[in-house]
Amino acid sequence: MRRPWVILIAGIAAALLGYFAFYFAGTAQSRAMSREQEPELAWLKKEFHLNDAEFARISEMHSSYLSGCAERCHRIDERNQQLKQLLGATNTVTPEIDKLLSDAAKLRAECHKQMLQHFYEVSRTMPPEQGRRYLAWVQERTILPDSHQDMQDMHH
Amino acid sequence: MKPENLHRALREWEIHDRLPPRFQERVWQRIAREEAQTLINPWSLFSNWLGQLLARPSMAVSYLVLLLFSGLLAGYWQARVEQTHTLEQLGSRYVQMLDPYHTQH
Repeated sequence: MRRPWVILIAGIAAALLGYFAFYFAGTAQSRAMSREQEPELAWLKKEFHLNDAEFARISEMHSSYLSGCAERCHRIDERNQQLKQLLGATNTVTPEIDKLLSDAAKLRAECHKQMLQHFYEVSRTMPPEQGRRYLAWVQERTILPDSHQDMQDMHH
Repeated sequence: MKPENLHRALREWEIHDRLPPRFQERVWQRIAREEAQTLINPWSLFSNWLGQLLARPSMAVSYLVLLLFSGLLAGYWQARVEQTHTLEQLGSRYVQMLDPYHTQH
């Protein structure tokens, strides 16, 4: 009478074993990536099939870009803070607001220029096919504007 | 037939065939089974059903193989979903690091 129960439990054990075996094997790569010091760069290496030399060079560029980016982010925060104060104090577009908006637009353009420059440098370090793919991927998510189809629909 | 003839015939009637092996034990087992079923205990019903189902080696092997493959498939699918999610997240974080104006969509 014990034999069916043994088989039943063995079946459940086999299912659990199979599940965890495939689960751990299937997620090993992403878990290893997440444990890296800079998981985002580890992802870049895997996604765009970079060799060690290419990866080392891109990591250097990345660090260099981030130091400049931090400074620009600080300036953006300052502008946003000023704009917030000015907007809270009036209900019209004052010359100060106008100037601040122009400065913010210039800063944004400067950020985009630096970012695009970085993307080109990174893409040139990659193998040509991967470089093209990287540029298309990253531009799609940063420089290229969002679709304004919703707004267009509202006007018609 | 007269009753005295019938009684005589019955008295003289003898069975010469041998009983099948473990006849008595089987009879008692059947009695026990019938008694248990009259109680309608779901657990014992399940237990009996399971016993009958897995008594056949082909069914037992099929059951084991089915569960093993179900586990493998579920593990594979779950790993795929999670791996895709992690990679998308890392890609998004990479963009966020580079673009100060980046917003999550």
